[in-house]
Amino acid sequence: MKTLTCFDDFKALHDRLRAQADPNTTTIVIPAGTCGIASGAAELIREAQRAILANDLAGRVALRVTGCHGFCQMEPSILVEPRRTFYPKVNPDDVERIVRAAALDEVIESLLPPGPMGGPCVATQDQIDFFARQARGVLSGNEKVDPTRIEDYIAQGGYSALVQALSRSDAGWVIEQIKISGLRGRGGAGFPTGKKWELARNARAVGGKKFVVCNADEGDPGAYMDRSLLEGNPHAILEGLTIAAVAIGATHGVIYVRSEYPLAIKHAQIALRQARDMGLLGEDILGSGTRFDIDIVQGAGAFVCGEETALIRSIEGRMGEPRQRPPYPIAKGIFGAPTCINNVETLANIPFIIRHGADAFAGIGVEGNTGTKIFSLVGKIRNTGLVEVPLGMPLKEVVHEIGGGPAGKTRIKAVQTGGPSGGCIPASLFDLPISYDSLTKAGSIMGSGGMIVMDENTCMVDVARYFMNFLKDESCGKCFTCRKGTQRMYEILEDITLGKGTPEHIDLLEELALVVKDTTMCGLGQSASNPVLSTLKYFREEYRRHVEEKRCDAYVCKNLVGAPCQAACPVDTEPWRYVALIEKGQYDEAYRIIRQANPFPAVSARVCDRKCESRCSLGVGGGESVAIRALKRFITDRVDPAVYRPEVRSTNGQARKIAVVGAGPAGLAAAHGLSLLGHKVTVLEAEQESGGMLACSLPAYRLPREIVRAEVATLMNENITVRHGVVFGQEVTLEGLSAEGFDAVFLAIGAHESWRLDLKGEDLAGVYPSMQFLKAFNLRGEELASGHVGIIGGGNSAVDAARVALRQKDVTSVTLLYRRTRGEMPAYEEEVEAALEEGVTIETLVSPVKIRVRQEEIETALREGVELETLVSPIRICSREGRLVGIECIRNRLGDLDASGRRRPVPVPGTEFTLQFDTLIVAIGERPQSAPLAAMGLATDKSGRVKVDPKTLATSVEGVFAGGDLVTGPNTVIDAIAAGKKVADVIDRYLRGEPLVEPAEAKLPTVFLEPADVDEEDLENTTRAVPPVLPVEKRKKNFREIEKPLSAEQARAEARRCLRCDLAFTQERQPVCGQSAAVGEEYA
Amino acid sequence: MITLTINGLDVSVEKGTTVLEAAQFLGFPIPTLCHMEGLTPYGACRLCVVEIGEGPGAKLVSSCTYPAEPGLKVRTASLRVMRARKMILELLLASCPQSKEIQDLASKHEITQQRFRQEYSDCILCGRCVRMCEEQMMAKAIGFRGRGEKRSIGTPFDVPSEVCRQCGGCIYVCPACSLRCTYTQPEKAICGGCANLSPPCLQKDSFDDMMCYMDPCVACEIKKP
Repeated sequence: MKTLTCFDDFKALHDRLRAQADPNTTTIVIPAGTCGIASGAAELIREAQRAILANDLAGRVALRVTGCHGFCQMEPSILVEPRRTFYPKVNPDDVERIVRAAALDEVIESLLPPGPMGGPCVATQDQIDFFARQARGVLSGNEKVDPTRIEDYIAQGGYSALVQALSRSDAGWVIEQIKISGLRGRGGAGFPTGKKWELARNARAVGGKKFVVCNADEGDPGAYMDRSLLEGNPHAILEGLTIAAVAIGATHGVIYVRSEYPLAIKHAQIALRQARDMGLLGEDILGSGTRFDIDIVQGAGAFVCGEETALIRSIEGRMGEPRQRPPYPIAKGIFGAPTCINNVETLANIPFIIRHGADAFAGIGVEGNTGTKIFSLVGKIRNTGLVEVPLGMPLKEVVHEIGGGPAGKTRIKAVQTGGPSGGCIPASLFDLPISYDSLTKAGSIMGSGGMIVMDENTCMVDVARYFMNFLKDESCGKCFTCRKGTQRMYEILEDITLGKGTPEHIDLLEELALVVKDTTMCGLGQSASNPVLSTLKYFREEYRRHVEEKRCDAYVCKNLVGAPCQAACPVDTEPWRYVALIEKGQYDEAYRIIRQANPFPAVSARVCDRKCESRCSLGVGGGESVAIRALKRFITDRVDPAVYRPEVRSTNGQARKIAVVGAGPAGLAAAHGLSLLGHKVTVLEAEQESGGMLACSLPAYRLPREIVRAEVATLMNENITVRHGVVFGQEVTLEGLSAEGFDAVFLAIGAHESWRLDLKGEDLAGVYPSMQFLKAFNLRGEELASGHVGIIGGGNSAVDAARVALRQKDVTSVTLLYRRTRGEMPAYEEEVEAALEEGVTIETLVSPVKIRVRQEEIETALREGVELETLVSPIRICSREGRLVGIECIRNRLGDLDASGRRRPVPVPGTEFTLQFDTLIVAIGERPQSAPLAAMGLATDKSGRVKVDPKTLATSVEGVFAGGDLVTGPNTVIDAIAAGKKVADVIDRYLRGEPLVEPAEAKLPTVFLEPADVDEEDLENTTRAVPPVLPVEKRKKNFREIEKPLSAEQARAEARRCLRCDLAFTQERQPVCGQSAAVGEEYA
Repeated sequence: MITLTINGLDVSVEKGTTVLEAAQFLGFPIPTLCHMEGLTPYGACRLCVVEIGEGPGAKLVSSCTYPAEPGLKVRTASLRVMRARKMILELLLASCPQSKEIQDLASKHEITQQRFRQEYSDCILCGRCVRMCEEQMMAKAIGFRGRGEKRSIGTPFDVPSEVCRQCGGCIYVCPACSLRCTYTQPEKAICGGCANLSPPCLQKDSFDDMMCYMDPCVACEIKKP
């Protein structure tokens, strides 16, 4: 390599390289940073070389091995220039095809990334959402240069900024430019770089020495942009560092990089050698008389060595331990000489600023936070990798647009920024523009740019514990408050996650965190409290749940969760236990376990929303969860309920009179529970039949009427009297009940009033609220629907109404209108499928109101043939002679994200259209009919729900309790049963004058059941059992139950799939008989 | 000379003076633990924190290491300072309850509770011994090892040091007492100071009831036949 001795030499070289580089050469670009190599880039490179040679393409197709391009998740990938075709996750076997296609300027469509929402494939890298929304400045170099070739860098305009800086006679020019650009330190603290350089320039050299240091000690878990830059574009860092040296008059440069970055070190070493050989570093840089050289110092990987005073001590060869500032390193740094320390990314920005002008840089971003910043976006998000965005971009854009939103069907809860010293920013603050100041204000920090996305399955207490564990190990240990403070915070957090926390712990934690923040010497200690303080600030409720209710809602803290299926069950069923019993063939015992916890086993076996399955470790771990509900159905279908005989407690004449209003699941569960405690219960029911929603709303094809009647009958005993046809608020009042001598009242009248669309004509003949429609049919057999039927709504009651309508004899078609898309429909997916199969039409992005239903219902409904129209909102109801003839709708599109990350439906003007309907069913949600209750003095909220103390279900009126849908709004059957079960206990305590609730305890498995002898390989090959269903043609116009029970073999095979999470809690308590006896003998 | 304000009083001190020295010159009491005259300031125990600056820029710094700056406004006993100090003492008590020096400080600051998991450590890593050994005894026999919660003081690799003269200086300056004396196994002792300094102790079974090492050694005196 020829040494360049003057600027003209450099210019000549640059022009020559530039002329050689033809941008239209077909080039296979393979990113081979650490991430690429880890996922197999080396093999791709080998394959590509072989393919080029084997196909005789050398000279026509070039190969360039570069650093990481940022989309690390898609590695190993190939980018083909000049078309910029991006092939993600390339299989080595496909490389040859790609090379050959590239040579012919063709694209292999099957290997392209799929478009958003299953749309057409994306042809070029720049069209991919992940890349399209970024503003790549610093990172853009990574794909253009081979990091081991200085020629690539120079051809891209590299080192021209250095030449510019060297050729200026006014020494202050560079600093002036940096100041104008507004660049702030990218290491995290955001100190203005220009100001720092000016201070460094004015500092007097000591012993003729002045240092400039590149801080590449990147230690945050989850942050790797510095590594990526140093690996992918090392010359940019060298150039930045040399320009810094020129600007401040430094004589020595140091790159302090951790030894965990071998590839970065290797590339930096190669780059240094090349730059020295070329005369870009050394005694007389390009003949300008400037003397400057750079050394690489490898750190041993202590997090604290990223702190500048500790870093200096480490470079000096001493223990990496911070010291008091002032004096600042600018005045007194390495061996007492002035030292200017800059982050890798800061330095990488310098050539850009000099080359493109300070104003161009200042034009990016926002006032006071100019330029771009690289973030490493990781965690529970669809697209992970390095993203470079202008500062000031709202956080939600990075998370939802570039990151593509949550990875699964969960909701994003928070983003942790700035690594262990940063804090968690909750989803509600995602409108926050990303800038140094706004993040600090929100209780986090910019830090080096780590961005860890967390969803509902992340426990914030556990997150704080994790980071504190990291910090207690990585604190240098010098400051007592940092060393002991982090250790004590960790201890407290661990206690909380283990279920040993007390409310005092939370206060102590906060107090300690503030003191640690206040009293430590260096940045590490001062920010060490951030994970605790920010989670306490935004997620204090989670802490409280852990401490007071011993619940971890993310199901992370093992000692609070126990067996997840059990913890998830609102009525405390032990699914692991009956699943294990089914495996052993002990069906009667399995029934008793189910029935002990749940007074409605057969009903739950059909309509429970299966919280247990959604939390099953098998499903959470990436497999298919155990079909717990189907197993329950298997048991309840097969076992005679008489095997369970509940005991009635003797009250010794202390029995009290209790009134339960409403004979739905909540009311009956409460009545049953109270009757077993020996109390005399009177149930008042407005309808002529018991069961509430079970009887009047749930369609018989899901829940046969005789099952409900039989189950209700088993709950009755001599302590319970049911009075049908008594409407609360009309025939009876609270006062009346009290006069009748009732000691306590439980209100569970449900939510039976349908929300209205608030459109004119809603009272026309042919328009029905869904509850009225369902009740008329389920209770009285009246068929209100006829002709073409429209259903507005996307929830379970909408889908139920659609499928019931479909089964009525005068109905020709059923169309469901929804205002968002099908993916957002709250109904059960499988129900919707079924409805569609049965012939229901669904129009989405149509309806104007929000409802809650479950996905699987949607599936079933669709399967049954319900037509689905999404993204549509009704705007007008058309009538003729007082009778409905149709509705006018408007199409919606999905607009901006709301705080929850869901897109809002926005009406598209000019898309109005009319649908002809003979019947319209409005199923946009229900609310309790609580106006009479409010008149009796009960506090209610604006949705008509009765306000209760969530722990005791006590209302604002003494002796009156409430639960079920009346309190929660439309909700699941199992939650209503849970409320009834709980209130029975509370009312009993109330009547005996005891405290209404006991301190909460974690629900952990206690009974040991021998695990089945399962062959692991067999287990991997078995799939989740699917219960047989009636085919569409056999169920379309009737109400026969659709789902059938599992067979005995199916059930036992399914039970064997259970991972038996309970054993972790019960196994060790079992004496291991053989062994312990032997040991005992030995010592006897 | 540098003029700064401490608790509202102006004071002029020489360049290089620490805030702690300036405050002590004015007679404002600031508790210290790792600080010791004759040793370089270290700033490890954080007990001597004072509040400097004003408004939102106000912060706590360790006065023993912070150099006096012209116009610096210092508060040695603000609410924020006292709250921090009390928490530090509570943490000290939780780690090292048997130290007489820590007990005295805690009592002076009216610490009435200790809410952390109790430990009975015999070292608070204040580094007095390390600095004593290096700066006054010119030995550099002991130093810090490890980081974070694993940080400890000792000789390299726990091998008896060749440069140690067994002067006992490290023990003399230790605020936690009974710190590194492993006299029951003198061959493992870092400095063997206990064997040199107070031979009567060698007859004792343990140090449980001993408050302090040096003359007058109360425990030893009591034990005298």
